[in-house]
Amino acid sequence: MLFLQLLASGIQTGILYALTAAGFALIFGATRIFHVAHGATFIIAGYTYYELHQVGVWWPLATLAAFAMAIAFGVFMALYVYRPIQRSEGSFFTVFVAAFGASISVQSLVQYFFGRGSVMVSTPLTMAQETLPGLYLAPILAVSIVVAIIVFTCVHLFLDRRNAGLGLRALSESPGLLESFGLDSKRLTILAFVIGSALVVPAAIFTAVSIGIQPASGHRVMLISLAATIVGGIGSLRGAVLAGLVLGVIENLVITMVDTQWSEAVSFLVLFAFIMFRPNGLFGTAVKK
Amino acid sequence: MKTSFHLITGKQGATWRRGVATVLASAAMSLAAPMVAWAQSYTLGTLFPMSGPNAEAGAIYTNAVDLALKHIAQDHWLKGTISVKPTDSLGTPQGGAVGMSRLVNVEKVPYALVGFTGVAKASAPIGDRAQVMMVNGGAVGPDLAKLSKYFWNIIPLANQEVEFLIPWLGEQKIKKIAIIYVDDPLGQGILSELKAGLPGVGSELVSSYSVAPELQQFSPIIARLRNDKPDAIYIASPNITQIAHIIKQVRDGGLNTQIITYGAANFPSISKLPESDGLIFTSQAADWGSDEPTMKRFVDEWRKNYGTEPTTYGLNYYNGALLYGYLVRGLEQAGKPVTGTNLLAELERVGHYALAGGEARFSDSTVTTAMQINRISKGVTEKVK
Repeated sequence: MLFLQLLASGIQTGILYALTAAGFALIFGATRIFHVAHGATFIIAGYTYYELHQVGVWWPLATLAAFAMAIAFGVFMALYVYRPIQRSEGSFFTVFVAAFGASISVQSLVQYFFGRGSVMVSTPLTMAQETLPGLYLAPILAVSIVVAIIVFTCVHLFLDRRNAGLGLRALSESPGLLESFGLDSKRLTILAFVIGSALVVPAAIFTAVSIGIQPASGHRVMLISLAATIVGGIGSLRGAVLAGLVLGVIENLVITMVDTQWSEAVSFLVLFAFIMFRPNGLFGTAVKK
Repeated sequence: MKTSFHLITGKQGATWRRGVATVLASAAMSLAAPMVAWAQSYTLGTLFPMSGPNAEAGAIYTNAVDLALKHIAQDHWLKGTISVKPTDSLGTPQGGAVGMSRLVNVEKVPYALVGFTGVAKASAPIGDRAQVMMVNGGAVGPDLAKLSKYFWNIIPLANQEVEFLIPWLGEQKIKKIAIIYVDDPLGQGILSELKAGLPGVGSELVSSYSVAPELQQFSPIIARLRNDKPDAIYIASPNITQIAHIIKQVRDGGLNTQIITYGAANFPSISKLPESDGLIFTSQAADWGSDEPTMKRFVDEWRKNYGTEPTTYGLNYYNGALLYGYLVRGLEQAGKPVTGTNLLAELERVGHYALAGGEARFSDSTVTTAMQINRISKGVTEKVK
């Protein structure tokens, strides 16, 4: 039963990783912008939800506000940080430093306005009940599974069937050709940031509810998103989702074999293994020289 | 033949006048120097985590220091003034080393308040080489005892807290203990004290789980703890946020096992957590209702200025800053410069001072303090023993 318990925990962790990784993967895959400030989006969404919850705002409205703030931040970064850099043909490193600086600034602002400690949203959804003898599950697990299925289904349908979704996929392959078809790559870039930032919101809320968030949480979110994107394959949204899920499950199951202090390091060992033996990731494609 | 008149006018006269002016100015300055020195600013360095997951602690420590300096100024203890040179340690050894280097080489402080075990251990050699007096009011790692002759602890160390706890565990018939600890000097110290002391009261350490300091997700460990069926879970982490996460997730995971920790439970993010109800923790003794004037003033003004209940960590850093005031006053009265070496000599010479909470006796790099066991009940800390 320990194995089942750890598997259940792993699935819950994996869903959080999958949601954050999907957002990053979508943005990076479509725009090739290394959006290191994705972790800051996570923090903004989480704290927006927490603060509104604390003042008694009804949770759907608090959720909508979290979406609004996350998307606003993503669009702000796209319009006023990345676009000027791209216009002046700034390098990848310039983008990285700018995004990293934004991430640190957001962390500092959150600390200044909302304090430096960890915050958690108290809810009965996180209280585990004995579902089977020795197996304790909390309602938040079911909620996160349902939300993840809905979110990923909607994103998949959008990317597959809507013109804007097809445009996003085309943007990742050939921005120049896109323009010649009369599509606006700038607007599609904004759309990528809107969807990518929105994807992180459910993860931020579930994290605030289950384990709590703090201003420094964004860095770990960013690292996991990056690891999952690479393991899943650059440019592959489903790869990032699957990789996030797998990393979460492995992180939990591994403690049956090794000391608990290695559980987080395992995610990065998996990353290194993929870089060494399958650098294209699960669903990435090799680039011919 | 040149007359004195010629010496006063012309080039030679100018030279003579400059010479006289120089002599007069030197005489005036040598007379004024003591007064200038006493009107000077003294510096106090702080090496606290002002950012990162332990920034909450840094804010509390800083508030305590500010309050103490305000009281020193109000009571006109000194002819000079004390200004704070704050440095962010990030709560990490690397941050501690960099921060102390800055305090020593750039700010040139003679006295520094430090916190967090890893920070203290990394910064102590740097402060020791520069002969800067360092006072710790928050770190509890056992190996902070006798770190350096310049390094003083005004807080009981973790091994002393666990030594105090173990007999109580025996009295309460808490037989099986599990520990979740960070593999650092604090965690290792508490682990070894429990391993050594529990058999003596008929208890045992049934399991131990080492975690990384930044880990936030504990569900796999909680699953293992459920299998272990301990009577109590001890949390030994230097990271306040992490302790709060563990407590919440243990309760959310359906485990109603008694949770025990050390003095870090004083911090509001732990003590005010709903899931902390029933938490047991050890700490130095502090009577917030005491009528002792310095303590009463500290408690009343802390509540008034900061709108929260005081904590023992705040008290320690308040006392740490008061101690500096006492030492500087002693040196001022003796006409000695305020250096780390002189501060240490003054402390060793006097050996005891009236701090908030009563008279503190300093010897062997530490201060003797009483301890107590507390329980959190509906957000309020109650003394158990």
